[in-house]
Amino acid sequence: MPRFLHTADWQMGRTFSRFEAEDGAALVEARFKAIETLAGLARERQCDAVLVAGDVFDAQGVSDRTIRRVFNATQGFDGPWVLLPGNHDAALVESVWTRAQRLKSVPDNVLLALTPGVITLDEQGLAVLCAPLTQRHTYSDLTAAFDRYETPGHLVRVGLAHGGVEGLLSEDIDATNPIAADRAKASRLDYLALGDWHGTRQIDERTWYSGTPEPERFRNNDAGNALVVEIDHPGSQPHVEAVATSQFQWHQWREALSVNSDLERLIERLQALPATSVLDLRLSGEITLDGDERLNHALSVAEARIRSIQCERSSLQLSPTQEDIATLQADGYLGNVITRLRDLQEGEQGEAARDALAILATVLKDPRGESAS
Amino acid sequence: MKLQRLRVEQVRQFRAPFVLNDLNPGLNLIHGPNESGKSTLVRAIRAAFFERYRSKSVQDLCPWGDSSAAPTVELEFEHQGTQWRLIKSFLKRTRCDLTIGGDSFSEDEAEERVAELLGYEYSKKGGSKAAHWGIPGLLWVEQGTGQDIEQAVEHAGDHLQSALNTLVGEVASSGGDAVIDKVTAERGALLTRTGQPTGEYRQLGEAREGYQEAVNDLESRVAQYQQQVDRLQAVTQEFQKHQQERPWDKAQTSLEEAQARLAGIQQLEQQQQRELETLGHLEQQHELTGQNLAQMKRAGEQLTERREALEMAEQRLRVTESQSNAVTGELAAATEAYNAAARQLTAARAQDQRARLVREKEQAAQRKQTLSEQLEKARTYQVQLNEALKQSQENRIDVEAVAELKRSDRALREARIRSEAIASRLSWALEPGVLASLDDHPITGDGAEQLLDRARLRIAGVGTFDITPGGDQLADTRRTLAEREQSVQAQLDKLSVPSPEDAEERKARFEAAEQRRMHAEDLLRSVAPSGIEVLGVAQAEAASELEALEKRLGTAPEVVKANVPALAEAEVEFSRAESRLKAAERAEREYQTLLLTRRQARDNAHSEWHRLDREFQSNEHQKKLAGLEERFGALSAEKREKAGRVERRKEQIQQARPDILRQDIERFEKTIQHLHDTQVAREREMREIKVRLEAWGAEGLEEQLSEARVGLEQCNRRYQELSRRARALDLLLSLLVDQRQALTRRLQAPLQKHLDHYVSLLFPEARLEVDEQLQPGRFSRGRELGHVGELSFGAREQMGLISRLAYADLLLEADRPTLIMLDDTLVHSDQSRLDAMKRILFDAARRHQILLFTCHPEKWQDLGVAPVDLEHLKKSPPTPA
Repeated sequence: MPRFLHTADWQMGRTFSRFEAEDGAALVEARFKAIETLAGLARERQCDAVLVAGDVFDAQGVSDRTIRRVFNATQGFDGPWVLLPGNHDAALVESVWTRAQRLKSVPDNVLLALTPGVITLDEQGLAVLCAPLTQRHTYSDLTAAFDRYETPGHLVRVGLAHGGVEGLLSEDIDATNPIAADRAKASRLDYLALGDWHGTRQIDERTWYSGTPEPERFRNNDAGNALVVEIDHPGSQPHVEAVATSQFQWHQWREALSVNSDLERLIERLQALPATSVLDLRLSGEITLDGDERLNHALSVAEARIRSIQCERSSLQLSPTQEDIATLQADGYLGNVITRLRDLQEGEQGEAARDALAILATVLKDPRGESAS
Repeated sequence: MKLQRLRVEQVRQFRAPFVLNDLNPGLNLIHGPNESGKSTLVRAIRAAFFERYRSKSVQDLCPWGDSSAAPTVELEFEHQGTQWRLIKSFLKRTRCDLTIGGDSFSEDEAEERVAELLGYEYSKKGGSKAAHWGIPGLLWVEQGTGQDIEQAVEHAGDHLQSALNTLVGEVASSGGDAVIDKVTAERGALLTRTGQPTGEYRQLGEAREGYQEAVNDLESRVAQYQQQVDRLQAVTQEFQKHQQERPWDKAQTSLEEAQARLAGIQQLEQQQQRELETLGHLEQQHELTGQNLAQMKRAGEQLTERREALEMAEQRLRVTESQSNAVTGELAAATEAYNAAARQLTAARAQDQRARLVREKEQAAQRKQTLSEQLEKARTYQVQLNEALKQSQENRIDVEAVAELKRSDRALREARIRSEAIASRLSWALEPGVLASLDDHPITGDGAEQLLDRARLRIAGVGTFDITPGGDQLADTRRTLAEREQSVQAQLDKLSVPSPEDAEERKARFEAAEQRRMHAEDLLRSVAPSGIEVLGVAQAEAASELEALEKRLGTAPEVVKANVPALAEAEVEFSRAESRLKAAERAEREYQTLLLTRRQARDNAHSEWHRLDREFQSNEHQKKLAGLEERFGALSAEKREKAGRVERRKEQIQQARPDILRQDIERFEKTIQHLHDTQVAREREMREIKVRLEAWGAEGLEEQLSEARVGLEQCNRRYQELSRRARALDLLLSLLVDQRQALTRRLQAPLQKHLDHYVSLLFPEARLEVDEQLQPGRFSRGRELGHVGELSFGAREQMGLISRLAYADLLLEADRPTLIMLDDTLVHSDQSRLDAMKRILFDAARRHQILLFTCHPEKWQDLGVAPVDLEHLKKSPPTPA
């Protein structure tokens, strides 16, 4: 009754340029943490093996330190790990894998599937049919070879591959690394463990994408899981359970503000976000100076609380109301300037006008004495 | 605001109360000499307003040496229909009282009221300074500071501004300038004045480039790394493929096959070589035998040839010998003809010689005859010539003298005629016998005499008559006549002729003789040009030549033969005979040579034939010929057989193409070498790439690249933020400045209006513009253009006063109090400017009260007001308050 953990797309070595340095570092660190989480999960669930369906590394040219840290992170589970090269870490003649081997950083229980073929885990009752990428891209179905692989009858046949299931995930016929939609059935597999798609997804009763254990993109596609797969004996239905593994949740919000209650609702949602959130917020519509101040305040509070907030509001116009102007005590020609800036937001200089208005509001809100000095 | 009354007590020289009363609502001219107290009054007014009543800094107000004084100033003025009265005492008795209409104020409150009305501040500590003076600082001009308006306007700024705001009805932004300052500072942190990035913004721009460079560098290195990986992949595949297929083994097999085939061909080639050598020997022998055989066969043919040659030579000899007689005969005939011609030629020559002599003799005789005749004639002409010469010599006369004489004679005759005309004519007819004489010359009968001189007629018996001819010219005529007679006589004497007629005659004879002489000379020259002697010699020579020729002719033989030809004919005949003889002699010599040659030829031909004939007829020769013919036949057959074999083998070799086989071998050898080399090179390259990739891979290039990208991205983001902020600040600042300027322009307008009014009175063409700070700024007059500060001191003082008056107008419009005090102003103005300024002051005084203090009252006489004499006032007793 073999039970194994299906995971993929670790993308180790990825960096996050769009975030502030501190946030980026935390997100990088979370990926190492994810491996440890997987190891812990495998141990906890008494898995027989961990199968990683490609893209362990984000690039071939990661640092030696990254390589060592990745293999160190597997220590928590001493059963066999089968690591499959994907398109980011293809088993080229010189690759991150050959480097890892040279560094002697690969523990004995970590098996590298660098050549197509079957890895037999007799003790665990598993025969793992591996279709590693040995080029960066292929246009032929590498899993077609599974048909020919004969395995002992008492072992569960598990395919391990990396690519796009044809006609399902990509409209593009010429998509690289294609995998036939009926591969599991055609090659008499008990289970086909796939990688490349970063969200968890079931293709058929025996074919699954595990998704990445730690999200790294703003795609609301159910990323951040690993699959615990249990197969009673060869030929029986696999039992698949998705287990959340991610440390951070990535959100992408696109909000249009027009009335005050829109802003209120947004602020409420911000307040409701857990601290492990990574938020990409894009605002449009219009906002009063008072509203802008409240928004700034809410964002500032949220920024300190959650992992990362990025707020894009170049499409959000500042529309000062009469009360705004009165509050600012913008008498004389300053009033004229505010009116001009409000109007300018419509034209070519919209962004500059919006920012200028915000700056002016800030300057005017300063205590008199301070601004005079 | 109109100041009506001023009272001071215990202030400097005014120890006793002094009152300045009845001040004009318009212009007030207050004068007095130096130290009369003008400045003290000005100081008192200023102290009353500006100084705190409890100030300790007003010691200067005290009278000299009186430290216990309580200087007191009392002012009464009216403003907008309300009466104001201010009394201030300092130092010993500090007090301030103010009544406005019916309301009373005192101490600080009183002071604040006044300050608010006039628009100034008090010093927080110590004496009042220019910075506190506000509007009065602008309108009250101290001695010698009229030109310095800038500071004054600045200090009055807020009050002016608020006055303007009232006027324009515009609310100037209360914090506008502070906002501009703040925004300018914020912008300054990002952009320079000219809009170039600065500070962090600039550093980010630079850092961004640095990151970009690093990214580019890493990208190219990553690309290089990947390319090397690809290369390694490709090379490794190739290497393994070759290692499995071993293409060099196949090439080796092909090589060996080709080598074996070439060895077979080479054997054939050696055989062929040997056969060819044998064939060569055979051909040589065959040719030699053929030659021998041909030689032997040709000997028979030669014998016949020799026989025929012999016969031919003999035939030729015979023909030649038969020509002998003809040749000899011709030679004899030619010799004879030659001799005959030679003889004829000699005879012809003698005959010719004689004929020539006869001709010469005749010519000589002829010449002698001619010469003799000429000699005869010459002698005759000589006689004629001599005759003429003699005649000529006898009649020789000077021809010129004769002509002279002729002229003199004519003149004499003319003189005579004239004298006869003038002379008294005495004609007489004497009775015969009457003896009478005239001047002792007896006269008889009839006669007449021309009397030019006194003459005495004596008639015998009768007596004497003295006749004296009269007339004027008589004596002269008589003298001329005598002179001419003498002259003629002298000339006659000289020519030794009795009369002029004789002279003429002789001249004619002389000329005729000369004529003849010349004629004879011409004739003589024609026959004897060189003289008679030469002619004679020639005649004698001709005679002797003739004689000689006759002698030679006598000795020359007479020709006997009758048929002697002419010399030319004989010479032609001789030369013809001579050439015939030469031809005949040559023909004979040639004939002899030919004959000899032919004989030799015949002898040679004979001996040749004889030798051959003997040899050919021998036995041995015939046997040898037969042997040779047999051997030749055998050799020919053998040669044919061998040549056929060689030809067949040659074809066999050619078909095998040994040249191409050798190329194949070379090709296979090179291929093997090349395949080995390439494989070795692949192995080496794989090693090299692996080493390189290991080194590069350890650097974690892609991770470095990612990190560099993160840096770039973050830097870029910050840069974009600052860039956005810079744009926003730029926009905001420009809008603020624009709006502020627009406002300022609106504020400037009323002040400019008043300024224009005064300036036009001073300089009709000029214009003084108000700048943003409401200061008089740009000044233009005609083509002149500049800042007011650049004008001369005098003009600046005038402009300063004008500006102050304009401010006063402005303040008046805004219902602010305007009191103008001028302490000895315009001292630097010339008369015409001063006049213009007086017009201006007079005009201004219609709206404002002006106090003008001066020590030069004479300068201000025509100001249209009664001057107040301070000295005079001081002496009059103070009016009770």
